Amino acid sequence: MARLRIIYESGEPERVIEFNPADAPFSHDGQPGSILDVMLANHVHLEHACGGNCACTTCHVVVKSGMDKLSESEEAEDDLLDKAPGLTPTSRLGCQAVVESDDAEIVIVIPRFTINQVSEQH
Amino acid sequence: MSEPSNSGKSAPAQRATCIATIERIFNHNAETRSLFLRLTGAIDFNFVPGQFISLELPLANESIVRPYSIASSPEDGQPLEICLNLVPGGVGSHYLFGLHVGDSVSFTGPFGRFTLDRSPELETIFIADTTAIAPIRPMIRRALADREHPPVRLHHAAQIADGLLYRSEFEVAAANDPRFSFEPALLGSNAESSAAGAFLLDQVNRRYVAGDDDRKRQFYVCGVGKMVFELRDLLRSAGYERRAVQYERW
Repeated sequence: MARLRIIYESGEPERVIEFNPADAPFSHDGQPGSILDVMLANHVHLEHACGGNCACTTCHVVVKSGMDKLSESEEAEDDLLDKAPGLTPTSRLGCQAVVESDDAEIVIVIPRFTINQVSEQH
Repeated sequence: MSEPSNSGKSAPAQRATCIATIERIFNHNAETRSLFLRLTGAIDFNFVPGQFISLELPLANESIVRPYSIASSPEDGQPLEICLNLVPGGVGSHYLFGLHVGDSVSFTGPFGRFTLDRSPELETIFIADTTAIAPIRPMIRRALADREHPPVRLHHAAQIADGLLYRSEFEVAAANDPRFSFEPALLGSNAESSAAGAFLLDQVNRRYVAGDDDRKRQFYVCGVGKMVFELRDLLRSAGYERRAVQYERW
């Protein structure tokens, strides 16, 4: 089983989800098996204003560990992340980062700005 | 099943939700319509041309979030116009097509960074297929607002005549503005759904890649499917600056 640990920069209680990547898709939005897909299926909220279509950055997460167990980012994701506030070297879009290994131990942080940002201003 | 609404136990502070009433419905064709939304209450709703709103749709067992580009301009004020297709098997679009004038919808936003908020400084090419014209429309209005704007061109492709949304509006704009040219392409109802993308790809290649060595242009591409990425790759690999090729794929 893979494991996704979610830490909130805001101080909200962290969450841990165990799942089998081979069972993807788990819900209806984001790439099948993506961080967003896993979280939604387990009733853990992650903003995804564009419906998980890689058209905004509201599902921006920072990967603390397990980056090598995630799918590589593609140009569309990188182009969007370039415009995201609070970008870090391990930033990913939750809708695009797919957990690829069944023994993955992924730790992500939901940045405060991802949670509280009122809207994406130009 | 999941509940991607505001009810998640771990969900911290949420975005403000807007409530709007459907004031008018306009059917562009059998499968495409515009909804005109007037916000409830004295809300000052600001957005930039190209942005979208995220509708929260209460389906039978869950809520889902679906984005819709704003097809009207900030200068228009309210009602906001969103434009949508009836997607086969698409629960969101079927829900919205079932709504009537007077019904309410809730949404968050605006969102999106595929935007143009001022008249451009470079020759600007807009490329869209079918309903992907929605975010482009207010961008073009903004681009043309300054009468001294550089050349602006719109390539819009669709299979059927009614799929060339806002055609008469663009034709009038082109007739009145020598720096704006509008090039609609009608591919025919028998064309495959991917035909618009293939046509635009070929046209862009001939005009802006093979056609000359000028690389001082910027592009705004919006569409459905891989065509958008193919256009991006074509233009960037041809020498256009990465940031000069903006795109949004649905």
